[in-house]
Amino acid sequence: MARVAVLAGEVRASGVGKSIDTTTLLLPTDVAADPGECVVLRGPNGSGKTTLLRIIGGLLEPTTGSATIGGRQADERDRAIRAAVAALIGVPATYRDLTLIDHLVLVDSTWGSDPNTSDDRGLALLEELGIAQLHDRFPHELSSGQEQLFRLALTLSRPCSVLLLDEPEQRLDTTKRQVVAGMIRGRTGGGATVVMACHDPALIEALATRVVDVVPAR
Amino acid sequence: MTQDPSAELEVDDAEWLGQADWVVGGEAARQARKQGLYAGYVLLLFSGIYGFPVLQAIFRTNDRGWLREQLDSPIGVAALVVAIGAVLGAAYWAGRFRGPVVPPLPWIDLVVSTPVDRARAVRRWWRYAVVGGAFVGGVVGLVVGSGLAFAQVTGVVAMVVATVLGVVVGVVGARVWLWAQVRSWPGPDHATTGPSLLWRLPDALRALHAESLRAHSANTSTLAGSAITGNLRTARLSLTRPITHARAVRLRAGRPFAVLVRRDVLGLRRQRVDLVAGAGFTVLGAAVLIWGMAQPAAPSFALGLAMVPLYLGFGSWTEGLRLQADNIGTPALIGTGPLTEAAAHLVAPTGLAAVVLGLAGGFAPAVWAAGLPVLALLAGGHLLAAFRGDPPATMVTPQSRLFWYAMPSVTVVLVGAFLAQAYRTGNPAPEAFCTILVAAVAAWGVSRVRRLTYRHRT
Repeated sequence: MARVAVLAGEVRASGVGKSIDTTTLLLPTDVAADPGECVVLRGPNGSGKTTLLRIIGGLLEPTTGSATIGGRQADERDRAIRAAVAALIGVPATYRDLTLIDHLVLVDSTWGSDPNTSDDRGLALLEELGIAQLHDRFPHELSSGQEQLFRLALTLSRPCSVLLLDEPEQRLDTTKRQVVAGMIRGRTGGGATVVMACHDPALIEALATRVVDVVPAR
Repeated sequence: MTQDPSAELEVDDAEWLGQADWVVGGEAARQARKQGLYAGYVLLLFSGIYGFPVLQAIFRTNDRGWLREQLDSPIGVAALVVAIGAVLGAAYWAGRFRGPVVPPLPWIDLVVSTPVDRARAVRRWWRYAVVGGAFVGGVVGLVVGSGLAFAQVTGVVAMVVATVLGVVVGVVGARVWLWAQVRSWPGPDHATTGPSLLWRLPDALRALHAESLRAHSANTSTLAGSAITGNLRTARLSLTRPITHARAVRLRAGRPFAVLVRRDVLGLRRQRVDLVAGAGFTVLGAAVLIWGMAQPAAPSFALGLAMVPLYLGFGSWTEGLRLQADNIGTPALIGTGPLTEAAAHLVAPTGLAAVVLGLAGGFAPAVWAAGLPVLALLAGGHLLAAFRGDPPATMVTPQSRLFWYAMPSVTVVLVGAFLAQAYRTGNPAPEAFCTILVAAVAAWGVSRVRRLTYRHRT
């Protein structure tokens, strides 16, 4: 058994930018978020919000600046970073041969949670998102909104000190957006740091402790 | 403008198609013909340069008398029938998602959807397919027949017989391919899409639904795009049917490694086609391996041949491993490290293959001895296959890309043949060398896991 450092959810991105050849995806941007905070990244399409989230999560190397989580360089090759950061950025590839509850049990188990209560945790999470009745469906049997809720459930089913979300409100109706807002608030209340890209003013109003405006390159 | 319901519309198929050809299809059709001719030329060239000499070498380095006896025996006839059945089965399987009649999308939208006789509107693409099938079948027959004849295993007449047989199989295969395409459309008219369409060609072409043609055209683009971009998941998903079986069975929670293994076992319970296909391939591979290792007269190429179904069988059971590779570059959901996860995903396929090879060891002790290195080789080969990643940017030609995709299977077949031959002779020195080779393949696979897992970041 390897020992992995538990990192505090202090997110720091200092002047991080990303360019590929002559194309600038993200202008140098600063982000700072502490445990219990929800920092919202706001900006028009193409301004680089997703790129910024990928850099903070250690999935992408910045061209300029640096990003850290709990004082360590954000690099997902570092097991401590992987253990600290849960993220919904893009579409996670799901198992076409597992039902929703199977997915949650699998993720929960691989993080070493108590196997005796794994099913209960999975069902409770689905219940919280209002899709408990779909627990025995396969991912291809969901509508686009249900799929988004399932992706959120997958992301929230693993432990983390930093939660990165890329437009969690996508494809959700007003009621479900409120449900998701409640769950995100619950995570920050529990001490997690949330950094999320968002276009919904109501959600930003309800959750943001700080807003970072991401300026498009052009 | 409205039409008078009592009036009839006169459709001159030839004229309409001629005009359509002039406007949307002519240049594309000429291009398709040119490409087809070029592909035929390349096939003929490669058959002459590689196919014929390789077969010659195989036939000449084996006991000709024994080969002659096998060709005349009921086993030889049965093997031929099984091979032809496999070709026709493959044609039917392929026709479910990519049939022989795949016109360009503008032709489907602008011509096929008009009142022109559909059999005439799509006939050109059918002709390409059937001529291609006959040509490929004929060339394969000619290469095999001439290989046998020049190696003096059979008389010269075998060349003619094999060529004719190849052409016939090619034509029948094309018809089965078309039949599967007709039946791929899930409409309510399956009663009219019975086997009689195999000989009622115009009716078969008329039974092709425009939506089905569109879907097959889209599948062609998906497959081609997946091959070019290296995104094999998209191709795989387009070839599989959605799973709905055994939804009430739950994944049992547990320790991280155990739950990953249980995931794969549950996946195989739900995808019984993969389970059965894997078992079928592995049993076939084990049977050929028993024959190749236990029969002194068996040709040495049988040992390499046995590796092909063994590789395919193992691959049918490694969905979990492939999905791990598909997920690379996305935020971590699974709590274990990449190597632990990959190792866990190899447990179920290795266990299943071990059962089959263990039973095979009861028939031939040499198989028992070679079982462990063969299993390690298969596991290493599938690590390579799942984590091979995109082809390097320098590989731009179709041949180099084909080589990239075939690299893991070719490695397994070559090393496996060498390994089985070493264990057949029972000589310790080659056995030790093979152990090093297998370890190298496994290490190569592990290095691909590491490389692909971490490379994406930059």
